[in-house]
Amino acid sequence: MFHWLEKNPFFFAVAVFLTISFAGLIEILPNFAQASSPTVGTKPYSTLELTGRHVYIKNSCNACHSQLVRPFKSETDRYGNYSLSGEYAYDRPFLWGSKRTGPDLHRVGNYRTTDWHENHMWNPAEVVPGSIMPAYRWMFVNEADVDTAYAEQVTINNVFNVPYNKPVPMKDGSTETVVLADTLEGAHAAALAEAKIIAADMKNQDVKDAIASGKIPEIVALIAYMNRLK
Amino acid sequence: MNKLVLWGILITAAMLGFTYMAVGGSKGGLNNDIINILTIAAAVVLVIVTVFVVIKYVRQMQTDTATGELADENWDGIGEYKNELPMGWAILFLILNIWAIWYMLMGYPVNAYSQIGEYNEDTKAHNAKFEAKYASITGDALVDMGESVFLAECKVCHGLTADGIDGKAANLNQRLEEKSVKHVVENGSNFLGFPAPMPDRNGLFNMNTGALITDAEIAAVSQYVANGMKGEGAEIFTGTCAACHGADGKGMEMVAPNIATFDIATVKAVLDHGKKGAIGVMPSFDRLNEKQKEAVGAYISSISK
Repeated sequence: MFHWLEKNPFFFAVAVFLTISFAGLIEILPNFAQASSPTVGTKPYSTLELTGRHVYIKNSCNACHSQLVRPFKSETDRYGNYSLSGEYAYDRPFLWGSKRTGPDLHRVGNYRTTDWHENHMWNPAEVVPGSIMPAYRWMFVNEADVDTAYAEQVTINNVFNVPYNKPVPMKDGSTETVVLADTLEGAHAAALAEAKIIAADMKNQDVKDAIASGKIPEIVALIAYMNRLK
Repeated sequence: MNKLVLWGILITAAMLGFTYMAVGGSKGGLNNDIINILTIAAAVVLVIVTVFVVIKYVRQMQTDTATGELADENWDGIGEYKNELPMGWAILFLILNIWAIWYMLMGYPVNAYSQIGEYNEDTKAHNAKFEAKYASITGDALVDMGESVFLAECKVCHGLTADGIDGKAANLNQRLEEKSVKHVVENGSNFLGFPAPMPDRNGLFNMNTGALITDAEIAAVSQYVANGMKGEGAEIFTGTCAACHGADGKGMEMVAPNIATFDIATVKAVLDHGKKGAIGVMPSFDRLNEKQKEAVGAYISSISK
């Protein structure tokens, strides 16, 4: 067989290619599979969180804020542990960002709270002197688009097998289940229930009124998403 | 003596001559320095050995003819002999094999570069340096460290001057605001990790009257505590709060926090556990190390009245 290969340069080249490709694959694939599978503690987005993620994308937050903590002491001091690829398992699309005009937000849920976000989104410069971030007051008025978020949930559940309604392992050894509603009405009800908990920590009267009448302002969805980034 | 050996001797002489001119002729010469002497001796030996080894192989090329049994294969007229494996080559090959196994199992996995590995080393070195430098920091230096930590981590909510930015966070220039005291008395609290939680108003008795604390009493005692333990309401405090918080409000270890003034232990407890009170939620700050938490405590104690 090798004599034959040695006399046929083309097939020799093919054989070399196959051998090296195989060696490369068995080196790369297991690591890649391990690194890209969800880390323990990473769970799919709930309906309200995903709605907030759409608000984040719609307002191009990712143009100024990254979501990727690099493994440098200076970064982990400021933002918490460096990011792992498995933490982005349910991010479609990922929102790593490419420029930090503002700070990184990958773990903002660990050190900012609902009431802080409320004050900050209403008037950033008041909370952070010298901040150049614009105010996002329309988020307190605009109604969040739960329908699109639910459609996305159903899609990724069916197409990518994202584990909705299945127990997901958490860091403390317990499991959590993110519920995907059966119907659109159910999704609205679940999102509203989640929004009520967040709005209870907020002070803006318009937001409270909207929640009381069964509507979800964009700011509540966005805060749900921010609080989940840990 | 043939021409080749003659050439060899000539070249040896010339190279030794250059060596002498470079070393022996320089200022100070060998200087009786053992390293200099050894170096020059090695140079002389190298020159002689090199020249005569080269002579051997040049002569071999001139006179040798190929002998041995040819292998069956030949490639466009180029054949090869069935020679024994040279011993030196075989030994080197074995050593290379052993090295390859070591490198695959030990060398690469243990010593390979990784970004995370470098990060871990950086962090370890930094922490060790921090520990060494600030192990016994006290007094003004500790307060200064606390101020810089405060400006990096706390000012975002509490403001540059720790005034809480118009009620968006706790004003740290005073221990407690009236509404915060009121909120805790009415709702109870278990945020600072003490073994027993503080009960809500349905568990707070005024020992002077022997009844549950009333709205009027809550208002009075809140004002009293927020005022820095001054004014009216002292007897309500003694009857209701002093059992856990102490007669002077300075708290008791493992029982209740200091509510008269800020101290390092109280601030540390808040940083460790976070807080949810009348104003809102404060997250815990696990990423500060113990010394930094202590420093923040010292700084807040120093600015609060």
